[in-house]
Amino acid sequence: MDPDGVARAFVEHYYRTFDGNRAALGGLYQEGSMLTFEGDKIQGAQSIVAKLTSLPFQQCLHHISTVDCQPSGPQGGMLVFVSGAIQLAGENHQLKFSQMFHLMPTPQGSFYVLNDIFRLNYA
Amino acid sequence: MVYLERLHERAMDRSSDPDVMARAFAEHYCKTFNENRAALGALYQEGSMLTFEGDKIQGAQAIVAKLASLPFQFHHIYTVDCQHYVPPQGGLLVSVSGVIQLAGENLRQECIQMFNLMPTLQGSFHVLNHIFRLFPLNYPSIPSELCLKSLSKRLEDSFSSSGFAVK
Repeated sequence: MDPDGVARAFVEHYYRTFDGNRAALGGLYQEGSMLTFEGDKIQGAQSIVAKLTSLPFQQCLHHISTVDCQPSGPQGGMLVFVSGAIQLAGENHQLKFSQMFHLMPTPQGSFYVLNDIFRLNYA
Repeated sequence: MVYLERLHERAMDRSSDPDVMARAFAEHYCKTFNENRAALGALYQEGSMLTFEGDKIQGAQAIVAKLASLPFQFHHIYTVDCQHYVPPQGGLLVSVSGVIQLAGENLRQECIQMFNLMPTLQGSFHVLNHIFRLFPLNYPSIPSELCLKSLSKRLEDSFSSSGFAVK
């Protein structure tokens, strides 16, 4: 699969997991992973999943508008930049968001999230 | 002596808080974009990549040519987030949200961009990766596909009417 296809597939898998089974996101992070969520910095798969599963909403649906990717260097890393909107259950309006992932290859031929920066866009 | 002082300054800068460095970089980038766009060339290298609204451009020369053609200015910065990632490269990832203003118009639009900064031997940074996206207007009451198309069309019309080449 070409890099754009890989990035798209990863993003779809990530948000499907987020929207359907948030606790399972733990499989996509590792010990050295970092998440900055609306300015809060969290490190390590366990803490990251704890943060994501403790967000003050039960159900949500991500709508992806754009996915861009670029290789990040000789390590085989990939930068993925996403913009879209989140719909929370029971709410009328959607929240715009942007998210940056830095993916690293695993020995099994998959990817994990090394860096993750998430921002809502309020303006 | 001046040279050594500068080296020391840069070393101190690099060991300072990454958030401070990232914010300083974002502000420097936007200021240079607004005041002296050709000078941005110093921040990119041969292997640098820019994806601007889906268009992929490689190398400092082509990137600066693209940036020079854009008919907007950075109006202000909302948020700057950053994360280090560990050696061997020791890069700094910077994610920026802000607002651009179309030159000569009242039209402002939110934008997001991300940079992957690599340290140089001289103690500074260069941009290895750069991705830029506009947020659609009137989101989300207009479906995103239509939104993006109408914004692109509006920018395209503005670009052509102000004499700038679109591509």
